[in-house]
Amino acid sequence: MDLQFTQAELDFRQEVRSWISTNLPTDIRDKVRLGHELSKDEMQRWAKILGAKGWLVPAWSEQFGGPGWNTVQRHLFDEECALAHAPGIIPFGPVMVAPVIMAFGSPAQQQKFLPGIASAEVWWCQGYSEPGSGSDLASLKTKAVREGDHYVVNGQKTWTTLGQYADWIFCLVRTSSEGKPQTGISFLLIDMTTPGITVRPIITIDGAHEVNEVWFDNVKVPVENLVGEENKGWTYAKYLLAHERTNIARVNQSKRQLERLKIIAKSEQSNGKPLIDDVRFRDDVARLEVDILALEMMVLRVLSSEAKGKTELDVAGLLKIRGSEIQQRYTELMMQAAGPYALPMMREAMAAGWQGDAIGADYCAPLAGTYFNYRKTSIYGGSNEVQRNIIAQQLLGV
Amino acid sequence: MDFEFSSDQEMLRDSVRKWVQKVYTFDQYRATVKQGGFSQDHWTQLAELGLTALAVPEDQDGLNMGPLEAMIVSEELGRGMVCEPWANACLAATSILRDNASREIQKQYLPVIASGAKKVAVAFVERAARYELSYVSTTAKLVGTQWQLTGGKSIVAFGDAADAIIVAARCEDQSIALFIVNTKTTSVSNRSYCIQDGSRAGEFTFASANAQLVCTNGLAALERAADISIAALCAQAVGAMDQLFAITLDYMNTRKQFGTAIGTFQALRHRVADVKMQVELARSMSYFASLKLTAPDAERRYAVSAAKYQIGQSLRYVGQQAIQLHGGIGVTDEYMAGHYFKYLTTIELSLGDSNHHLGQVATRMTDTAGVFEN
Repeated sequence: MDLQFTQAELDFRQEVRSWISTNLPTDIRDKVRLGHELSKDEMQRWAKILGAKGWLVPAWSEQFGGPGWNTVQRHLFDEECALAHAPGIIPFGPVMVAPVIMAFGSPAQQQKFLPGIASAEVWWCQGYSEPGSGSDLASLKTKAVREGDHYVVNGQKTWTTLGQYADWIFCLVRTSSEGKPQTGISFLLIDMTTPGITVRPIITIDGAHEVNEVWFDNVKVPVENLVGEENKGWTYAKYLLAHERTNIARVNQSKRQLERLKIIAKSEQSNGKPLIDDVRFRDDVARLEVDILALEMMVLRVLSSEAKGKTELDVAGLLKIRGSEIQQRYTELMMQAAGPYALPMMREAMAAGWQGDAIGADYCAPLAGTYFNYRKTSIYGGSNEVQRNIIAQQLLGV
Repeated sequence: MDFEFSSDQEMLRDSVRKWVQKVYTFDQYRATVKQGGFSQDHWTQLAELGLTALAVPEDQDGLNMGPLEAMIVSEELGRGMVCEPWANACLAATSILRDNASREIQKQYLPVIASGAKKVAVAFVERAARYELSYVSTTAKLVGTQWQLTGGKSIVAFGDAADAIIVAARCEDQSIALFIVNTKTTSVSNRSYCIQDGSRAGEFTFASANAQLVCTNGLAALERAADISIAALCAQAVGAMDQLFAITLDYMNTRKQFGTAIGTFQALRHRVADVKMQVELARSMSYFASLKLTAPDAERRYAVSAAKYQIGQSLRYVGQQAIQLHGGIGVTDEYMAGHYFKYLTTIELSLGDSNHHLGQVATRMTDTAGVFEN
């Protein structure tokens, strides 16, 4: 047992750090640091820089054009990206659909789709949730009916993150209503320009347009866009959920945000003194710091056990719950740190390219909105209550 | 970075666990508490296992093992609620003597600690100090060539079963030094009792009691010993929480209400997931504390306080919920769950409670955050 990284790991970290500092555009870095919104162009600009280096897909094997990094290297890369205020990788292509295409897709599908994902040329979104199927995902109703050499898809997906930018969507669709709900689901790849697809924005309580409804009205999808076998889609979706188990903790992002919280709490004044000197606020920051430390140690334990090829430390659900609670907590404390200056609602101040005068400090405008928005973290990706059900099932049986 | 245990470490864990399972049954635990909270017979067996020699250097008849072995043993002793204060004597007192005492004092004490023949306790508590180690009102005076102590220490591990105790005292120049006092010396008096975890402790009073000087850099040495003890407490808590959690899961799958096992009720199942969370967070931070024991002082103090705070939060939640999930049987003396709850609660109130250590973390926070940056 040893907490230290090896020299090779430290060298790797240094290599990543210096590459990012040379290649991350400063305008993008500054926006991420201040929590401002990025345009599609800004998100894709950074993704393409990473893509050209082969680093947009850290978890891919070399066979598919990935860098062949182990779990510790991936963690270090993720940490360095967070440290440098690089935008997060949009996961739908590189992290979510690609592993399924690699594991279950045909060679033709792999050749057609993977290069565009690795280079960030093609933007993917996820079509899982439906208005009637949230935590109970297997109850989904969007229907795909085979007609000759294509499927005809009808139905509605929702909560489609950044679907307004997407070129392709990967969908779970119902191809059979026989047997258990899970056994009639298939995994389809759908071109977003196909006639019959309508994308409508959902505006969240922070005023942002991040998620969408996607409607399918007699959308024709070629049969060659079915991944794997018909009615096996649930298995593939579960495989996807088992991927990238430590990333869901988002501990590296939380570490950086804790640092930012400290900067804000030193800069904001209460009764003419730095807020961080208020013992009640300072102790809240200290509690969060211990929470983040404990989460990071848990993540490192999982990484170490995965690096040894062991899987008995199955704490993915714990990481998701704790990681999301911590994200919610830091957004709450940041908003509280700004106090009344978190109140002015300045949507335009967060938009890409805004040059106006801030009310309060320049970091104040997004804080309340981010707090409101981050209630999502304990809801998405399997709500924290669903995670608790799964954990209890592992411990107590059915 | 590596969190795997070596095969030697696994063997050590295995041998301690087997001893605990064989000797320290719940009935045996209760019998030990009934006879005053300390069993010389158990101590002899710990010595036979080599555990009293664990941190003693090889040239003093010891095994010279490190913080990770100490953590493993502590976890296993915690799993069985072992009353005998092994960590206080065999980690804290041993490390103070090993790292600070003169060769002469080392020769006098370390081999007999290693063999189990003598039990040396570290006294951490004074009446008005609460958890602050630098608050020392016991005084030391040099009379000719003989040091003499006047004052008192509270809740000293072993109580009257201790052969000697290590005491922090303030010298005439106001500096803090550590002394070792033979408890059988005249002018040392004690009143001994059981504490809430069933172990034995005592109030010691010194009225110009003869003592040997261990070291003059007393506060730094005491803080280091406290941190070693806290890391051990964290590991003991993890062992105890593991065991209490296992007992609780068993009970939930056995106990039936409304015609079905209570483990099927979602309200209780979610509680189980939350308890599991606290156990794993605690284990993670217990590792962190032990791995940081060899770090520079400031880094070590921060890490140990962060760990103790986490463990305090965890053990309170796990303990309280384990009782709640059991229902009425959980608050009966005849059932073991309640005893684990008391064992865990004792750990929270020992060597700094959660508020104390949160304060330590808060005052030691740096601009950055994370495992590798403090």
